[in-house]
Amino acid sequence: MSEALVSMRGIGKYIYGESGKALRNSEVKILDGVDFELRSGEVNVLVGENGAGKSTLMKVLGGVIPPDEGEILMDGHPVSFRDPREARAAGVAFIHQELNLCPNLDVAHNIFLGREPKRRGMKDASLMYARSAELIRSLSCDIDPREMVSRLSTAQQQVIEIAKAISFSSRVMIMDEPTASLTKREIDMLFGLIKRMRSEGMGIVYISHRFEEFLEIGDRVTVLRDGRGVGQLPMSEFDEAKVIKMMAGRSIDSLYPKTHGGAAESVLEVRGLRLTPRTPPIDIDVRAGEVVGLGGLVGSGRTELAKSVFGARRMAGGELRYLGRRLDRWNPRRAIAAGMAYLSEDRKAEGLVLGMNIRENVSLAALGDFLRFGLIAPRAERSKVEGLVGELSVVARSIEQPVATLSGGNQQRCVLAKWLATAPKLLILDEPTRGIDVGAKAQIHGLIDRIAAAGVAVLMISSELPELIGMSDRIYVMREGGVVAELAAGPDLTQERVVQYICVGCE
Amino acid sequence: MAAAALAAFAAVGSLVPHFLALPNLLNVVRQSSIIAVCAVGMTSVIVIKGIDLSYSGLLAFCPMIAGLMMLGGVGVAPSLAAGAAAGVLMGLFNGFMVAQLAVPAFITTLVVGQICEGLALLMNGGRSIGGFPDSYVFIGNGALLGVPISDYLMVAFLLVGFFVQRKTPLGNHIFAFGGNDGVLRQEGVDVKRVQLFVYGFSGFCVAVAGLLLSAQLDTVHPTQGDAYQLDAIAACIIGGVDMAGGSGSVPLAVVGALVIGCLRNVLDLLGVHPFMQNVLVGTIIIVIVFMSGQVRRRNAMATRGTL
Amino acid sequence: MSSSSRSGAGVPSSRSGGLPAALREFAGAHVSFLIFAVIAALACASVPNFAQADNFAVVVRQSAIPIIACIGMTMVLMTGGIDLSLGYIVGLSSIVSGILAKNLLLPAPLVLAVVLGLGALIGLANGAIIQFGKVPAFITTLGSGYILYGVAQIVSQGSIVNRLPAAFLAIGRTSLLGLPSSVFIALLVAGIFQVLIGSAAFGRRLRAFGFGPKAAGLSGVPVARINVSVYCLCGALAALAGLLLTIRVNAAQPNMGGGTFTFEAVTAAIVGGTSLFGGVGSVVGSIFGVLTIKIIENCINLLGVSYHLYLAVQGVIILAAIVLGNLAHRRG
Repeated sequence: MSEALVSMRGIGKYIYGESGKALRNSEVKILDGVDFELRSGEVNVLVGENGAGKSTLMKVLGGVIPPDEGEILMDGHPVSFRDPREARAAGVAFIHQELNLCPNLDVAHNIFLGREPKRRGMKDASLMYARSAELIRSLSCDIDPREMVSRLSTAQQQVIEIAKAISFSSRVMIMDEPTASLTKREIDMLFGLIKRMRSEGMGIVYISHRFEEFLEIGDRVTVLRDGRGVGQLPMSEFDEAKVIKMMAGRSIDSLYPKTHGGAAESVLEVRGLRLTPRTPPIDIDVRAGEVVGLGGLVGSGRTELAKSVFGARRMAGGELRYLGRRLDRWNPRRAIAAGMAYLSEDRKAEGLVLGMNIRENVSLAALGDFLRFGLIAPRAERSKVEGLVGELSVVARSIEQPVATLSGGNQQRCVLAKWLATAPKLLILDEPTRGIDVGAKAQIHGLIDRIAAAGVAVLMISSELPELIGMSDRIYVMREGGVVAELAAGPDLTQERVVQYICVGCE
Repeated sequence: MAAAALAAFAAVGSLVPHFLALPNLLNVVRQSSIIAVCAVGMTSVIVIKGIDLSYSGLLAFCPMIAGLMMLGGVGVAPSLAAGAAAGVLMGLFNGFMVAQLAVPAFITTLVVGQICEGLALLMNGGRSIGGFPDSYVFIGNGALLGVPISDYLMVAFLLVGFFVQRKTPLGNHIFAFGGNDGVLRQEGVDVKRVQLFVYGFSGFCVAVAGLLLSAQLDTVHPTQGDAYQLDAIAACIIGGVDMAGGSGSVPLAVVGALVIGCLRNVLDLLGVHPFMQNVLVGTIIIVIVFMSGQVRRRNAMATRGTL
Repeated sequence: MSSSSRSGAGVPSSRSGGLPAALREFAGAHVSFLIFAVIAALACASVPNFAQADNFAVVVRQSAIPIIACIGMTMVLMTGGIDLSLGYIVGLSSIVSGILAKNLLLPAPLVLAVVLGLGALIGLANGAIIQFGKVPAFITTLGSGYILYGVAQIVSQGSIVNRLPAAFLAIGRTSLLGLPSSVFIALLVAGIFQVLIGSAAFGRRLRAFGFGPKAAGLSGVPVARINVSVYCLCGALAALAGLLLTIRVNAAQPNMGGGTFTFEAVTAAIVGGTSLFGGVGSVVGSIFGVLTIKIIENCINLLGVSYHLYLAVQGVIILAAIVLGNLAHRRG
């Protein structure tokens, strides 16, 4: 067996607080003592759920962020990278999910951006085109180096990124979900490329959740869970159930409040909703008094579905029925007026108006309730906001405090307060406890339970499996723009079962 | 595309009296050369997603400096050099504000333009100056081998602009900045230097255009730049420079300047109200930016990923 | 135009208590008043003939009409946009009001209504192109300003209209308490918009939109309506300013206002604390901004310095204000 090309040992990365300082005392770390090894001439598949730490680990290897603990060795020598260019110079190339090219330049000018060859003081375009053509040919592809990158398909753009990486004599290539937007034929071509690079001695890290794919291409599987390495297997010993258990088999030691009873009348009926013309139709029901969970990976369409229901995103087909009524020409203003609320996953850009204070933020969606002849009644507004702020235990000096100065947990409470002020009938929550400490999480869970018990229909998107399973009465699992399963709460609703649907699709 | 343009040109020529006469056409080119030189500088600014609204001020300020020096007895060449240097300095200042202090380009250049227009008014109490040395006036009105010097200048700037855009690595960086400046930064290119160059060069172009204008008129009027600001932008837009950044060719911008020149000439010959030209140019700008925005958004929708 | 992140714009950082902190917070929220006070004090101390009742009246009279225009520009700036056509709306409304009042002999209230309506319509067109056509604000208003300048010149047919009817002039020239009625119109406008922006739902929604259009939209703020209406209101206010200017000089001309007038409105708004990035701005602040730069103009006159210096000085002031604003609101 060949010597390890890359060896990462004991890599740790702390969570960083609001002020940008590392929280060294926190029990939870983004990465905790992770070991990772890559040999030359192999494809090591890195798997794990949302938040397992795969991207972070590779960002450390790729020089995008520095590790707080541990070391990286290449060919047995310790290395440290201050930025991605140093990593690239050492032979590590990172092909991100969002491709890093200039769409308005042609292929050759992209490949040689920043290091354009010169001849007699001028840019040597013919050399650029010749070398680019060579690189592309070496990948057995057929792309014109004079072609504008914006005119290339995603698969072709990927080839260009790979060609660029090879031109730096990379020996390690990190590929993050490379097949996300590719057709079957393009995937086959990509795999051909990967096999060729492997045979030339390159080490490839392949991040993916698509079991059916990496069985074909991988030599080894490394599993991460909650920031820790759980183990690795050679592909010959791959067993779906075993890997799923490694990915998701954590013990659920926190209890989730479940005082809300059964479901009552239907509040939301989604029929045949298409997120894009190419994705499958979606059917979903949410009833009063129940918590419906929406699971799936980042990018599976959960947020897009939520925004479509809320009127913030146009549907490519399908129908929404809310409280029995068919929705027509829907937008967030109408949705709010009708009793819908949407707590966005992006708290800072979409949940709060950061330039304003607590009072102004919390009253924003329900402003109409405080108006007298179009003027805001300050006392009514203040008392309502103070009431909600107290109810949700927001920690602040006063409601005049700017929300930008609050902690993450308190900011989230403010956003929740804003939506509760509208007395919604349908509450859509998108990652309600992301980035929040454990104590606040429990409090918010209790709140959600009480809201459902009061008869509100709750649709909750969550990437944390224990939370999703613990809080929901029913779960829809989404994958690549469609719903692949509907699971009811019960003894066989396990984390492994959800992960199975996410990674393998329907049976 | 080129054939259609030629056909349009011929059609217009046949309908409008005196248009296709050689002296008229040469005059059109001579007058368009001011806009053309401006457009050369403006193109790169728009490519890096900026804008330069200081043209109206600099088109008066730079020749005012040079003119006062010439009238004060300083030689033509050093005066012209001083005028050009003033333009470059203002341009570099614009670039500094945008690149280093992250002030939006439109307000920085607007303010610098106003300051310069104020200074131009201040320097001679709001009055015009004129009566310059013959060698200077010759640049604006004289001809070499039958072709006006202005035209040679225009072609020279076209070549310089083209050369920088297409034959230097800096040109690639300028386009890259407009396309995806994150990648450019990642590749270790000093993006601040790119911006400084673009605005500095823009200042140089407008300075030369202003010096040329005053040579043609044998006058420096403190507000002579007002009309040309929008014409420079319109020339670029007609020449296909994308307001969203990342794309724009210098030669086509010069063609755009010629189109504007011809348009104004045709309207003059047809006896259309002179200020109707303003209405037309303003409308063209808005319409073209609107349409190109629609096209861009439709293309973006079509090539979106899975979700 | 690439939009820079707006998080933190205009947020005074809170520090733990004490008198210095309280003073600092007061200073942060009332910068425009402090600047005005400092400039006024400097003027009283160093410029002869400044500190006299007659002169103060002059400054107030000179400030009235720019205040009206500046309020319009302030609202537009608060959305993160700009209206470069403002000065040209002034010109067009000037010549139109002259023609309507003198040549067509329309009654004064009708002239007022038509001119205001014209300004609102122009603003509506600006707003629609910016919001629905998605053409950037500076391009839209640069182009529309140029168009309006041409239209004004064409409508005027090369001549100005003077010696306007007394009934028409009375709108702005009626003397009350020693000051012309245009001052009181300005006060009325200021009062209305102070309520609208400071206490009404419109102002809250406008600020939310200016700070964070995405968050505002998802919270039910009618972003399209707000974006279009600020340009509409700005157009109407610019038209009012043009009409009052015409009355003050008793001459209707297409060159009234122009680019320098627009520029003055922007300068005053920024000195008054309005942020270019949106969200931050107030009527009171802009009033102090106008007073401040009018004091500077007044001093330049009294000192016998060339008026053209005023233009250059305004530019330097804006740059200084922007740079200082950037440094103060640097996001962490």
